[in-house]
Amino acid sequence: MSLILALETSCDDTCAAVVDGAEVRSNVISSQVAAHERFGGIVPEVASRHHLELVNPVVDAALAEAGVGLERIDSLAVTRGPGLIGALLIGVSTAKGIAAAARKPLHGVDHLHGHVAANFLEPDPIEPPFLCLIASGGHTLLAGVTGHSGYAVLGQTLDDAAGEALDKAARLLGLGYPGGPAIEREARGGNPAAFEFPVAMRDDPRLDFSFSGLKTALLYAVRELGDDGTLEHRADLAASFQAAVVDQLVAKLRRAARGGSRRRRSAADAWGAIALGGGVAANSLLRERVAELCEAEGLELKLVARELCTDNAAMIASAARYVEPAPYPDYLAWDAL
Amino acid sequence: MSAGAILGFDTATADAVVAVTIGGQPVSERRAQPDGSGRPRHAAKLLAEIEAAAADAGGWEAIERLAVGIGPGTFTGLRIGVTTARALAQARSLPLVGVGSLEALGLGIAERAEGRKCLPLIDARRAELFGALVDDSGQPLWDPFVAGPEQLLQRLADAGLRPLAGGDGSLRFRAQLESAGVDVLPDADPGHRMAARHVCELAAGVTPGPVTEVKPAYLRRPDAEVWREQRDRNPGERR
Ligand SMILES: [Zn+2]
Repeated sequence: MSLILALETSCDDTCAAVVDGAEVRSNVISSQVAAHERFGGIVPEVASRHHLELVNPVVDAALAEAGVGLERIDSLAVTRGPGLIGALLIGVSTAKGIAAAARKPLHGVDHLHGHVAANFLEPDPIEPPFLCLIASGGHTLLAGVTGHSGYAVLGQTLDDAAGEALDKAARLLGLGYPGGPAIEREARGGNPAAFEFPVAMRDDPRLDFSFSGLKTALLYAVRELGDDGTLEHRADLAASFQAAVVDQLVAKLRRAARGGSRRRRSAADAWGAIALGGGVAANSLLRERVAELCEAEGLELKLVARELCTDNAAMIASAARYVEPAPYPDYLAWDAL
Repeated sequence: MSAGAILGFDTATADAVVAVTIGGQPVSERRAQPDGSGRPRHAAKLLAEIEAAAADAGGWEAIERLAVGIGPGTFTGLRIGVTTARALAQARSLPLVGVGSLEALGLGIAERAEGRKCLPLIDARRAELFGALVDDSGQPLWDPFVAGPEQLLQRLADAGLRPLAGGDGSLRFRAQLESAGVDVLPDADPGHRMAARHVCELAAGVTPGPVTEVKPAYLRRPDAEVWREQRDRNPGERR
């Protein structure tokens, strides 16, 4: 097997990992949530400054936890995009520097391919073909996975990401940051049918998502209720909003599972499983509803461990196994993408 | 003092500059300028220039110390320089020294100062300047600061100083500076541009500390922090 040291700094987590084939030897994640909390969202400049300070200790920790020195590493891997450009550059500059110093090859990895490839890691890897829904504060992607080296974009958000919509809703409701867990907590005591929020795109044959109308509907509801009314109905608002987000995600998954817009599912493009990735995949209601869908459609449900589900570098190393590395010195001029 | 080979670089300005000095003498000096659109190409250029400079000096085995300009300058440029320096130092187990980019720029101005004090100025955008006042050995008399030209000229007037200014900031505000009695290097003078041999020179006299202590000197806080503070001070206002 071959040892890959991977770095991931596309958003607000500083991550490094050592992966040996499909086995995760170390997976270090330094979260910056506390640094961004007071802003109610991720501030790119703040994220970049933190990445710079954290990246070297995080790389050291990943090597130490894996019990290997840099000389034992066969190749390095790094997320080149998409993400916050200034944040990506910290990982790219660091990976290039280390790889060049050690004269090792370097794999450039697409962040979303990383989320998909998290499903190929031990302890319970799955094999294509499967559907993969990646939903977080940065992305909402429905991917069709038929091989290891890439994925087909079946649908993606046309405006806000699902996690971004939850963050904005949490802010409107005064529930703090990050919004996903805050909304979920508040929703537990609420009635998801109390408010009727639009489930955008539900009847649209395409597999794309849209959450901006939903956010606007919540804004109107909050305005109409006023401060006191909003506080009084906050649990209902959170529950109804969460349900509308989840409904849309599940509706598109169902449509994709049944073979896309109009086509009947044929034996050739039958999906074996649905995999969930990204921070929003931690949402209990989403997990419950997707489990029901899998049951009804005869599909396996794949939920990776939490530390492989949110942004991490082990998934980047996993994807790197299927991406040809650039030998030294071919990557010296790499920029973030 | 280190008399051995020092590989130094700086990305605080639009140029990515790299040099190797041995016993204080430059054996390699390289410069990557912005592309036609004026955008710096630090991410794409810096590491290749570093590798080439090390090769010029006879290979990495010859290099005993790394040095990097820590700014102030453009945030992204600084981070590419400092991050690259930290990665190379970490992976090659080389000592790393961070030096002030303004002090390095000041050394270039000092070559023409004829005893005058030097005022290295880097364009900080937003109609402001990053600056420092340094003596002819690059030692700061005023710590690096960010200020508008009026504020800077007032401070110079108060101190009764007429230093020699250089750097892209001095070119941008030449008329204003000269009308207040500050001399500015001629437009084409190389003293306006960062030279990495000066980064090496400053680093030779410093004892290296831990790699993780080498950090950019931003001089400005993130905008979001400033806005946040203003909002906290005026809670009635909505963003
Ligand atoms: Zn992600």
